Amino acid sequence: MSSNRFDSPLTPRHQLAVVVVAAALIGAVFAPIVYANANEPSGTVAVVEIEGPVNTALADDVENELAEIRDNGSVEAVVLKIDTGGGAPVASERMYKAVQRTSEQMPVLAAVQEISASGGYYAMAPADDIYVLPTSIVGSIGLNARAPQTSPPVEGPSGPDKAGGNEIEGWARQQTLADTFINAMMAERGDRFELSREEVAHADVYLGTEAVQNGFADEIGSLTEAVHEAATRAGLESYSVDTRETGPDGGIPFLIRTDEQVFAVYSNDPGYGDVEPMGVAYVHLESVPHIDTVERFSEGSLPVDGEAGTAGTADPNTTSDTAPASGGVGA
Amino acid sequence: MNHAERLATAFVATFAVIVLAATVAGFVATDGAAPAPEIENEHFTDENLTHDRTPGEADVTMSSTQPPRTVLVDPGIETAGTVPANPLALLGLGGPDVADRDIRPLANALIENGHEVRVHTPPAGQPTAPRPGATRPAPNQNGAEGTQIPLDSELEEADAFVTFDSEYSAAEREAIESFVDGGGTVVSMTDPDEAFDQPGAAAFDSTLGVSTEPGYVYNLAENDLNYQRVYAEPAGDSALTDGVDRAVFPTATPVGAAGGEEAFRPIDGSQLSTSRTPTDAPLLVENGGVIKIGDADFLSPENAQRADNDVLIGNLADALVTSGNGGARPPVGSESTQTSSDADPTDGPDTAS
Repeated sequence: MSSNRFDSPLTPRHQLAVVVVAAALIGAVFAPIVYANANEPSGTVAVVEIEGPVNTALADDVENELAEIRDNGSVEAVVLKIDTGGGAPVASERMYKAVQRTSEQMPVLAAVQEISASGGYYAMAPADDIYVLPTSIVGSIGLNARAPQTSPPVEGPSGPDKAGGNEIEGWARQQTLADTFINAMMAERGDRFELSREEVAHADVYLGTEAVQNGFADEIGSLTEAVHEAATRAGLESYSVDTRETGPDGGIPFLIRTDEQVFAVYSNDPGYGDVEPMGVAYVHLESVPHIDTVERFSEGSLPVDGEAGTAGTADPNTTSDTAPASGGVGA
Repeated sequence: MNHAERLATAFVATFAVIVLAATVAGFVATDGAAPAPEIENEHFTDENLTHDRTPGEADVTMSSTQPPRTVLVDPGIETAGTVPANPLALLGLGGPDVADRDIRPLANALIENGHEVRVHTPPAGQPTAPRPGATRPAPNQNGAEGTQIPLDSELEEADAFVTFDSEYSAAEREAIESFVDGGGTVVSMTDPDEAFDQPGAAAFDSTLGVSTEPGYVYNLAENDLNYQRVYAEPAGDSALTDGVDRAVFPTATPVGAAGGEEAFRPIDGSQLSTSRTPTDAPLLVENGGVIKIGDADFLSPENAQRADNDVLIGNLADALVTSGNGGARPPVGSESTQTSSDADPTDGPDTAS
């Protein structure tokens, strides 16, 4: 008998069987872990939804999601799922810069659903490429605002521009706002636009089929195709999709407009405090529902406490009888 | 080193290595946001991005030395007691209006040079279409409060007529035509929006022998702070263009006159809204005693301060008092006068040609 054989009552054949069974049991424990590791995608494509009116809540979420994505080592590419007709200028600018920062770090594509106009177009402009469906609508690069008017004298404020305004100064401010938007779009996509700056400033919108010809978009394609292309650009042979919802729940605030102005409504059953006039807006008007009237009242009819609440109004079109007003939907 | 010291040293060394490794690993795998990439957006910091907010200054002067004349102004404001067609007008909203201050640069120049300015308001009940946003009837300077005088009677005592309205009854149009034929000067100002809310402007244009083209003029390349605030320059030399290099017309529509003289055209790069093609159609024309201006806002106090609008307003004031009959205009033809006097005050505009 060989000296290296165990001194066991089991025969060598039985010893071999025990070893095989033990190995099988241990292997069965570790096999799922090994399988999962072997089968794990090499990276993640994040889909960030930008839908509904562009406002502060939406910008907050988009900024936070993109910041987290930039800091998340497993996310290798981003696709912006866009469906908005625009909204507030500052919120549009915040999303623009967040997208711009992200595109410096990884592939970012935009996939337009029904519409990406005005402030929505502003937000997605830094994307590497813009995907549109044939009947998507893009464009409307410009500012919506009422004509500035000189206000009658207002007694009480500390300076003439605190609660009033000069018509010419208002025009200058509005044109600067408009040019800020247009210049940013020319900087981002001027080399792709087939239109001159003056033609872009017309603020027209284009169907997807036309947009890929005039440079307002780059590819005809769906969200899925954009995601796959983003993964390819990130060098991912396999990938998972992580969808990030943004914006407030319930779809509010929403926008409405009269013949004169755009309003943000913060309730499905709005009272006076739930309707906010938007003196200026990066919004495609045709995408905003029209109503006949919005009940409003002037600052002069407000109680003293109410006046304090409007003291900081910074509407560039401030007029004494309209701008500091709030109101409710009356139509 | 005894055995106990060796054990202690080994313990401390091992502990230090572990703590150091944990510290390094913590820094490497730190949580929280990484610094954002720094991005230069020169288009936001371009010093040419911010537009000049200076309102400017105006100095409206007249060169005419004519004796005192009477200028009648129809601001197109509804009479007291009628309900505005546009509910928003109750709130002061609804588009351009011609309030007292809007004609002050012109009116003050006339007054300060010894001329008389009268303001026409239509008789109560007369269905004159209000201009959008017009809310306050101007005081009738020709009579006691609430006693408006028919237009034909007021024209009999005037040398020149400035109107922002285009909705006149057949009798009123006849009186205005007779006024022009009698040597009076008529300045008619119109805005592009009139084509959308005033149905009878064509009849008034026909009375004056002028025309108004649908659409508005805009210029995206070179303008006064907005694409609709277009620059216009003289089309030739005339008393109206004297001293004017450029004028600003905030809401301009092309106008014309058969056989008339074109005074101002939009600058190169201007386009027409209806065709989106370049246009050089005139914005101000003269046709005998008629001056047709495709804008009603250029002489407001703020707009008078832009470009050479103050000079143009002064020239316009000169034109109003240079012609006419020195305040002694003969009465409008007796037949016409009779027709106007007999006219039903509720006679709607454009019911007759």
